[in-house]
Amino acid sequence: MLTVIYPFLKPILMKHFILLFTVVLSTVNHAQNKTINAGEKLVFTASYNMSGILTDIAQLKMETSQVKTSRSTLMRLKCTATTYKKWDNFFKIRDLYESYVSPKTLKPYLYKRDISEGGYYKFMQYKYNHKAKLVNSLKRKKNKKGETWDEKNTFNIGTNTRDIVTTLYHIRNLDIHKASPGDQQEFNVLFDNKENTIVVKYLKKETISTALGKKECYKLALSVKGSDVLKGSNSNLLWLTADNNKVPVYAKFKIAVGSGELRIVSAEGLKH
Amino acid sequence: MKKVFVIFGFLAAILATVLAVTPLSNIAIIPIIVAFVSGLMILYISKKEESKPKTIQYIFLLVIISLSLTIYKGLSSSTEIGDTEQLEQRDEENLEDSIDILDDIDIEE
Repeated sequence: MLTVIYPFLKPILMKHFILLFTVVLSTVNHAQNKTINAGEKLVFTASYNMSGILTDIAQLKMETSQVKTSRSTLMRLKCTATTYKKWDNFFKIRDLYESYVSPKTLKPYLYKRDISEGGYYKFMQYKYNHKAKLVNSLKRKKNKKGETWDEKNTFNIGTNTRDIVTTLYHIRNLDIHKASPGDQQEFNVLFDNKENTIVVKYLKKETISTALGKKECYKLALSVKGSDVLKGSNSNLLWLTADNNKVPVYAKFKIAVGSGELRIVSAEGLKH
Repeated sequence: MKKVFVIFGFLAAILATVLAVTPLSNIAIIPIIVAFVSGLMILYISKKEESKPKTIQYIFLLVIISLSLTIYKGLSSSTEIGDTEQLEQRDEENLEDSIDILDDIDIEE
């Protein structure tokens, strides 16, 4: 019986085997960190576009540092957002996003999001357990009286699920020079206790002028699968320098309430 | 026709003044231009009809106020960030707390 149906099953089995092999290979092969250095500091200006006029709203910083615990040495990836003085009376933002990763593989172990936006406070923490493929999350919120309450959760994650901060750095660590225009890759990102899929598409190489000078860049398009947070197709763009540092120098985004952009102001402590 | 320009001009001039006060002062340029053009149109129509263009004074007054505010803000306000003391404090607290948590996590090198 089996010998009769085997010729028919063979192509299907082969197809599944190749697929399985690719999945296993991609999960086992953790990319080595060739791009990010501890001590790196990138400063950006975020602007909001209203009827063609750009207004500077906030300063964004992406910093990396070395953190030593009693058992190991990790890298801290820290992103902060601070509104400019003139906005503080209207809508004060003081956001802190941080992730503690392995300096060799950029594998995340702890993620924290501590945000304060115009009187709204929220704290999120993800503790990764890679062996059990689990994440212990802690959500802390404040009510109007200033009292805080905690909400604890545990949920399963995929092998390649990362938080938003680690994903940003992971994208920089990709071998984009090996990709050809039109190639795309999906990333599972954990945000607000939910796994989202971000699709990153490599569009082309483009030379743009930045505060760091004229730079040849990789132009990438970002989108979130099954969500309309980011509007339009190919309207959320990211430019990474086409060198070994892959510094994000410029980004354009389109959301429900308008569009904006991120421009680099300075870059220090780059690896290459 | 004149009435349309008067209403349009007034609305634009008020909007320009409101925007000029807020941090969105550079966006006030658009209603300033609209109000100014409306004012000129009222002046032109009034001259044609040989009537007195009273309202234009108010429109131009508002335009001048918002324009001077916008220019002043554009020149004086530098892009400096506000106080970050609280953020720095939270940053330090989080770092200390994180090191404690990371001590308990198994880290594969």
